[in-house]
Amino acid sequence: MNMTERCLSRRGLLKIVGVTSSGMAIGRWLGPHVTMAQEPAHGKGMESFTGPGANSHWNSVGPYVTEPQKVPLILLTDRPVQLETPRHYFRTAFTPNEAFYVRWHLEAIPNAVDLKTWKLQIEGNVSKALALSLPELMQKFKPVSLAAVNQCSGNSRSRLQPRVPGGQWGNGAMGNAMWTGVRLRELLDMAGVKKGSVLVQFQGLETGPGPEGLGSNLFLKSLDLGNPVLDECVVAYLMNGEPLPMLNGFPVRLVVPGYFATYWTKCLTWIRILDVTDENFWMKTGYRVPDTPRGNTTPEEVKAGKVKTVPIERLPVRSFLISPDGSSKIPAGMNVTLRGIAFSGFGRVNRVEVSDDGGINWMTAKLGEDHGAYSFRTWEASWTAKSPGRYSLAVRATDEKNNTQPDEPVWNPGGYLWNRIARQEIVVGDAS
Amino acid sequence: MKNKVQAFFLVMGGLVIAAGVVYGQLKKGYYSPAELGSLRQPAPVELLSDSSYQAAAYPVPVVDLTPGDGRQEVQIYCNTCHSPRYITMQPPLPAATWEAEVNKMNKTFGAGIPEDSTRKIILYLEAHYTVENRKQ
Ligand code: HEC
Repeated sequence: MNMTERCLSRRGLLKIVGVTSSGMAIGRWLGPHVTMAQEPAHGKGMESFTGPGANSHWNSVGPYVTEPQKVPLILLTDRPVQLETPRHYFRTAFTPNEAFYVRWHLEAIPNAVDLKTWKLQIEGNVSKALALSLPELMQKFKPVSLAAVNQCSGNSRSRLQPRVPGGQWGNGAMGNAMWTGVRLRELLDMAGVKKGSVLVQFQGLETGPGPEGLGSNLFLKSLDLGNPVLDECVVAYLMNGEPLPMLNGFPVRLVVPGYFATYWTKCLTWIRILDVTDENFWMKTGYRVPDTPRGNTTPEEVKAGKVKTVPIERLPVRSFLISPDGSSKIPAGMNVTLRGIAFSGFGRVNRVEVSDDGGINWMTAKLGEDHGAYSFRTWEASWTAKSPGRYSLAVRATDEKNNTQPDEPVWNPGGYLWNRIARQEIVVGDAS
Repeated sequence: MKNKVQAFFLVMGGLVIAAGVVYGQLKKGYYSPAELGSLRQPAPVELLSDSSYQAAAYPVPVVDLTPGDGRQEVQIYCNTCHSPRYITMQPPLPAATWEAEVNKMNKTFGAGIPEDSTRKIILYLEAHYTVENRKQ
């Protein structure tokens, strides 16, 4: 017997042939399905780039790629790795580790760390420099847990008009996790910050092949020692109760609640107290926003050299409709649940509103469980479209400081701080 | 022997019908032909209980740069600090923005690309990645 015969026994074969002695018969056999379900439209792949107009998709348009310890995510760049989280992973308040977006700056990112030699160093202008192993971090300090949103400064950059260079993120360069670790303040106190110090600088394991002293060689970030956010920072060794994926910063990552992810140093290994200002590229030139309301400016003002900039800081209030996502029609008269998330780096989100006429009339959505001021807050609303047509669903959030999402776009040369009200077109079909 | 011959014809007949069905369905539009992703799932790394924590190597798919003069220079010089996917990821950009990007790589990031190659790279990017001419 050859392989085919073994796989397809004669009796089995006769059964198929018996029922379907010709292609025509098969057509008839499929007949009833055909009349009830109709032929589908051909599925097309995404375009390979968007522009010069704004990217109209919720996510960026790259292909899926499977990276170590990750489910398939949307590829922005491969070396260094930048991956976006697909929309449907935001149905829950906590983003799964294996789906959490990834954003590195320099090529040499670790894919192995030996915990026998790895130590977290606290050095510089301190009374006693420290080098702590992971077991020491876990055992010598009281663990603290907090839920916090990590969002890339350039999240939604592909919405800007005119488009700006940089990572062309859709909305998926964000995630929320329960972070567990050591309070940064305890580490600083143990080392003893000396008088006259001004900054605390953070460095992880990533390096680049560029010349020493340039931004292409090291990625360094710092915060003012007087910044109250330092009291809330956590050096996290757990993400949603598990070790961090290598691509998200194993073994420890800095958590700066309410702040953009640029400060959340991955594979954090050096905490350095400085008594001088930080002149490195990633503080002095990169990740800066115009010192204007919402960080807004124009290409003309930038060209005229009139724009004063400051380092980017807190996450402006945002909200998203996650489902339905517009990929299928909804029959008229069907009552569906609209679901999404909201967050703000300035305080708890306490109101989410939804509109089905593009933002003219608003109704209040029901908020989900409160996981803390810096977490995603889920929301839902029940919605019935009575008649067929195109509906523009819009969602806007308000935080406890009374910041509400505006409906005006933002533009700045870095492509930062986008938080305009998001809209989703939903097609409602005839139900009879 | 006779059984074997019969079985052969039955199998062949079956395959023809099956192919016909698949073809018919493709034509009808139930299914459409597709290529499987060129990237395979990574095999899990072997986990040992020692103190080293590692992930598999990060995959680097080939980047499709539009053919043309200067592509070779891009492949050499725009590949050292990051993959040229940093170029193809961008939206179509004005020619002046491309020039500024290449100058930024040289001046701010120390790419140190020789002047004639720098010129060629700028012309290449301006010929294939602006609003007027970007195709892929
Ligand atoms: C000396 C190292 C180096 C070389 C060589 C280099 N780049 Fe870059 N490039 C960088 C760094 C560092 C970044 C910022 C990376 C990040 O933020 O993810 C960058 C980012 C970019 C970006 C994204 C936009 C931006 O400004 O951040 C583009 C586009 C780019 N490079 C194009 C090029 C081109 C074209 C070349 C070849 C002429 C090149 N690069 C060569 C270091 C380099």
